[in-house]
Amino acid sequence: MAKLIEVEGLTKVYPDGTRAVDDVSFHVDAGEMFGFLGPNGAGKTTMIRILVTLLPKTSGSAKVAGVEVSEDPDTVRRSIGYAAQFIGIDDDLSGHENLVLQARLHGMGKAEARERADELLEVFALTTVAGKRAAGFSGGMRRRLDLAQSLVHRPPLLFLDEPTTGLDPQTRNAMWRHLEELNRDGTTVFLTTQYLEEADRLCSRLAIIDQGRIVVEGSPADLKKEVGGDVVTLSLPEDTDPDTLRRAVEAVTSFPGAGDPTVFDHSISLPVKDAGEALSALVRTLDAAGIPVARLSMSSPTLDEVFLRHTGERMRVEDTNTRAPSPMSRVMRGRR
Amino acid sequence: MLRSLGESTILFQRNLRKLLRVPMMVFFSLFQPLLWLILFTQIFQRLGEFPQFQRQGYDSYLMFFAPSVLTMTVLTSAFQSGMGMVTDLETGMLDKFLISPIRRSSVLLGKVMADAFRMLLQGGMVLVIALLMGARIETGIPGAIVMLVTAALFGIVWAGLSNIVALRTRHAELTMMIGILLTFPLLFLSTAMMPEGLLPGWLETVGRFNPVSYVIDTARAFMNFGYDWGQLGITLGVIAVVGVFTLTGATRAFRRATS
Repeated sequence: MAKLIEVEGLTKVYPDGTRAVDDVSFHVDAGEMFGFLGPNGAGKTTMIRILVTLLPKTSGSAKVAGVEVSEDPDTVRRSIGYAAQFIGIDDDLSGHENLVLQARLHGMGKAEARERADELLEVFALTTVAGKRAAGFSGGMRRRLDLAQSLVHRPPLLFLDEPTTGLDPQTRNAMWRHLEELNRDGTTVFLTTQYLEEADRLCSRLAIIDQGRIVVEGSPADLKKEVGGDVVTLSLPEDTDPDTLRRAVEAVTSFPGAGDPTVFDHSISLPVKDAGEALSALVRTLDAAGIPVARLSMSSPTLDEVFLRHTGERMRVEDTNTRAPSPMSRVMRGRR
Repeated sequence: MLRSLGESTILFQRNLRKLLRVPMMVFFSLFQPLLWLILFTQIFQRLGEFPQFQRQGYDSYLMFFAPSVLTMTVLTSAFQSGMGMVTDLETGMLDKFLISPIRRSSVLLGKVMADAFRMLLQGGMVLVIALLMGARIETGIPGAIVMLVTAALFGIVWAGLSNIVALRTRHAELTMMIGILLTFPLLFLSTAMMPEGLLPGWLETVGRFNPVSYVIDTARAFMNFGYDWGQLGITLGVIAVVGVFTLTGATRAFRRATS
């Protein structure tokens, strides 16, 4: 499979000495939806800006669409679309004018640019506001317009820097559907995000980045599996005496395939390989020992645990609150 | 070359459209020279009757002052030029231009073209207003065109300075403030308000090193006395020298800001 992005030992040191990207290597194959997951300040934006030709690297190699970014930026620019975290829209122009401008800058003639703008406005459900100044657009509309802008020239590779930061859950969901549709139609996507849920849902493969370094890389499922299996939490009644609690802990610890239990108040959390299998057996074991169970729950590991395990910290998510009330019903149509 | 012109034209149209999208902006940029023309010609009206003034050959203070307003107006647009650059930096529009496969120089050229267009338009309005107020241009329409083009050329060169500040500071208010600070002393230390013979000695000396004086004196010559090619040639040379500094500076600042 063709590698659309190949990064080898890439490092970026800013003039003030900050190592924003520190010896990073990874690759993205054609057709993938690859994510950089990490907190604010992890180096995600620096990484993406190097790849889209906006920032020079300090050392290492970064190839996009088969060419070294610093050597042939023009070829890279022709092959990629880029939607920045801070949306690049001209507020004084209408939605339609913004799209036509981008299309023209990508070498389309007037008629072709207009046609392409109309097409994208329809795809992103912006036709009704096409003639209005972008200054009045909601957060969700701006994101959609920006995504549309990055697609004017039908790039095979799309770079998205935190595409849903600041969006409300509904608009975020609609944006996800757009991206999934785009990817299904063959666009390779590189995105950065600080949302675990987003990485989990969208990315076929992801790298967790912290302080400029990739700490771990793999598919969301593999990464979670690596952290361990499921967790079963057994809650005993509140009036359970310490002796019964101790007996319960002993009973579940001897359970085949179980890890070390964590006891909190009257609850025992037990890592197991497969919660589905373990659940009934655990209940039977406790029942046989005459220990009553008040509540039973199970959970699968999340990327949060993956992050915690590899960085020793929980993800720090900061958010800007942009309201975007309009729902989006249409999904992305196929590229021609 | 052709490709670059095409790209610049796209951005020129965009910049122009932005300007026209804010009608208040258009209104006030035309209102301002009108205000200056009326205010200053009223304040200094009696000056036109002084024998020392008349001896220099000016029919009225209006005839003397209209070329100054032309230059002032163009300079006002010039020192605001960087503001648009800051906006494009802040909104991410500049990034959008830079990741599209156009030449870097086209971004700058598109801006220069829009600035020039605006300056020519405003300058033209100044001359029309002056004519309506009773001034006349000795050299007629060809002379008026020379006056406008010279003023706009200087405006572009001066706008380079504003863009250097904009690209270095990335701060709109600061760009405006420094722009005003760089521009107004130059205006008042020139022959804008008083003819050379009536300025204090030290100011006359300063005026000789002040490019603004050259631009104003040339426009003044074409308006009051007739074609003065020698004066025009010197002024174009002065503009070129200033331009070498401001425009290469702006290009360098642009390259630094965008890499």
